[in-house]
Amino acid sequence: MLSRIANNLFWMGRYLERALHTARYVNVHYFSTLDAPLLSRKEFVLDSISSMTGLAYEYEDKGEDLDDEELVYRITMDENNPVSIKTAIFCARENARGARDTISSELWESVNKFYHSVNAYNHTNLNHEQVLGYTDMVVDQCLIVQGYISHTLLHNDIWSLVQLGMSIEAAGQLTRILIAKAKDILRVENQNLGKPVETYQCITLLKSAEAFDMSRIFYKNVPNLTDTLEFLILNKDFPRSLIYNLEAVSTCLNKIKMIKGNEKGSPEFFAGKMNATFSYLTVEDIEEDILPFLEKTLDDVYKLGELIIRRLS
Amino acid sequence: MKQSQSQSQAVASVFASYPLSKNLFDEVFEPTGAVKSCYKNVMSFFQKFSLEDIKKLNEFTKLLFFNQGVTFAVYSDNLKGVERIFPFDLFPRIIPNDEWEGLEKGILQRNRAINMFLHDLYHGKKILKDGIVPAELIFSSNYYLKEMMDFNPPGNIYTHISGTDLIKHKDGEYYILEDNLRCPSGVSYVLSNREAMKRAFPKLFLNYKISPVHDYPEQLLSILKSVAPEGIDNPTVVILTPGIYNSAYYEHSFLAQSIGIQLVEGRDLYVDRNFVYMKTLQGPQRVDVIYRRVDDEFIDPLCFRKDSVLGIPGIMACYREGNVTIINAPGTGVADDKAVYTYIPAIIKYYLSEEPILKNVHTYRCEVDEDYKFVTENISNLVVKPVDESGGYGVLIGDRATETQKENYLEKIKSNRRKYIAQPIMSLSVHSTFIEEASDFEPRHIDLRSFCLMGKNKEFVLKGGLSRVALKKGSLIVNSSQGGGSKDTWVLEE
Repeated sequence: MLSRIANNLFWMGRYLERALHTARYVNVHYFSTLDAPLLSRKEFVLDSISSMTGLAYEYEDKGEDLDDEELVYRITMDENNPVSIKTAIFCARENARGARDTISSELWESVNKFYHSVNAYNHTNLNHEQVLGYTDMVVDQCLIVQGYISHTLLHNDIWSLVQLGMSIEAAGQLTRILIAKAKDILRVENQNLGKPVETYQCITLLKSAEAFDMSRIFYKNVPNLTDTLEFLILNKDFPRSLIYNLEAVSTCLNKIKMIKGNEKGSPEFFAGKMNATFSYLTVEDIEEDILPFLEKTLDDVYKLGELIIRRLS
Repeated sequence: MKQSQSQSQAVASVFASYPLSKNLFDEVFEPTGAVKSCYKNVMSFFQKFSLEDIKKLNEFTKLLFFNQGVTFAVYSDNLKGVERIFPFDLFPRIIPNDEWEGLEKGILQRNRAINMFLHDLYHGKKILKDGIVPAELIFSSNYYLKEMMDFNPPGNIYTHISGTDLIKHKDGEYYILEDNLRCPSGVSYVLSNREAMKRAFPKLFLNYKISPVHDYPEQLLSILKSVAPEGIDNPTVVILTPGIYNSAYYEHSFLAQSIGIQLVEGRDLYVDRNFVYMKTLQGPQRVDVIYRRVDDEFIDPLCFRKDSVLGIPGIMACYREGNVTIINAPGTGVADDKAVYTYIPAIIKYYLSEEPILKNVHTYRCEVDEDYKFVTENISNLVVKPVDESGGYGVLIGDRATETQKENYLEKIKSNRRKYIAQPIMSLSVHSTFIEEASDFEPRHIDLRSFCLMGKNKEFVLKGGLSRVALKKGSLIVNSSQGGGSKDTWVLEE
């Protein structure tokens, strides 16, 4: 496997996953503004979107104050914004194109179609229905592409590299979502708004990870913060949980035929270490100090990502 | 009964308003308006469709190409280039078997002679000494590489892959328009066109015995392997592309995928002790044969353009050591120079002692005083082109240019006569073509790019080739970068 192609496959996976998480987060949060309970005002939700996607840094630096339409445009359609969904799909396609002779034609065609459907929305702003339609389409197309990834590639290095990219990005995105929501919840707690608001926040959090239904089935209860955190961080059977994705990262790293290192500072070592830590973690440990824990986790995921990129180049 | 009647009316309408061209050779219709015999089946098949149906099928194939990413990039101010689908016409071009046999023989003859010519130019230069081809012509060419002197490429093959462009003139005869010896492109469209045609009109294929084109990738691979360095049993063959923003990237990836070999960029390869390696996750892997789609001047910054980032520093040294085979050999461009073109009939006679099977278009070389005089006096009746450019750029068509354009062009010729040649305006044959804006079939000019492969003791001509069509009404320029499209091209087996 050429190192360049390995990078293309890895980044294709990352960009697809990034688009998927961003689209779902915008979809869930934008629409929760419509019937948000007391004080979960629109601005509040939009703040949450901009901080989860990283857009906040972009415009706070410039001292701009974005209105909601502008913000949603920037995050969904703006091709000049490096964290928009459109940019992610463009990059996913460019990476697929660079590895076109390595992936299946079916996978390439699905990525190419996806790119063209995203391009077909060339409005400068989106109304409510279009935001819903656009983000739904992105989520659907991402899953179609993922279907081609699982079913038309050899599950050797090729698939493992794409999966590696998707898992590391999923771990990072989920952690960002958790941080954004933890901040929301802490804000709410400070205002003493009580149970219904906490439940509402937990539901949007779970829905952002397509985890609401499965967590209901698993806990047979109305979501509370403890269960929600446990489910999203520590449930080994749920494919969008943090621990599930960290394990997938380790598995993929071990499967890819490349010059390996098990010494300190190698991605294999670091991924193994993170996995070991998470295996003996309880939700009580996490709850003690939610935000610092999540921020440390995000740092570690990024560090692992850096190590992998260095290994592939 | 009623229904069939209305259907037969629809029939007539598909070609009812088709204008027969005077003074032009129509591939489908006789001057009387009768359909030529090899087209009869296609014609009666098409007449079962209404124009609405044809329009729908046209959209269907466009979408097919779009989703598959069968596109090419047009160079523009935008660094990334603009992506376009290569327009595909639904009406196939048909070449009867006997006509094809002559073409195939002629193409092989021409390319054999060209290989001997190249070998001679880089060794004894007998043809120059014998005064058949003027030495200044060769030594003044930018494509004549001193790095190739006295070097024997494996199997003495220089042009493993060549594309000979042909046209049919109003006399009904084929003429060679030019030779493309520097890794010509277009073959992927031949294969994609055939696939699209099969998907759009599966039943049409039942009425004809058509030579297949799908064996091209395996033929290509066996040619590439046949010229591997000595002693390598199972060579690692790669295709070298300039990258995803190159106008022919689709073709590069398509060929790599259909042959099942690795597509590489210059940055994937490096040279160590005169061997070429690619950087893989498992460490370096040796590369034996490189089918490069990067021009000579970019291939090795140590020998040629120093600013090239597309090539591999030191690769020419590996090549000369015989440790890697570069395909086509560097330095073949000296023979597809449009001024050298005029000597090809003489070159064929010189090396093969045979009469050329295919005709050349008469060419005036501006560097020759007599020809130059003729060109300046008759520019309105000539096509003038630079000898070293491709893609239809820089061409002046005398009867369509304004006086100022002609004057400016003559100034350009004057400043560098070696650079320009002129030919009589050949009337490319026309072929019924579905025109979107008109929603109807209209005659358009076409040419034919054939693809010829040469390896150690192997030769192959792809049956058919790429029929390119100038979609602009009256236009003679068929290049994809200038609004050309293409047609599936059928060689009949009997």
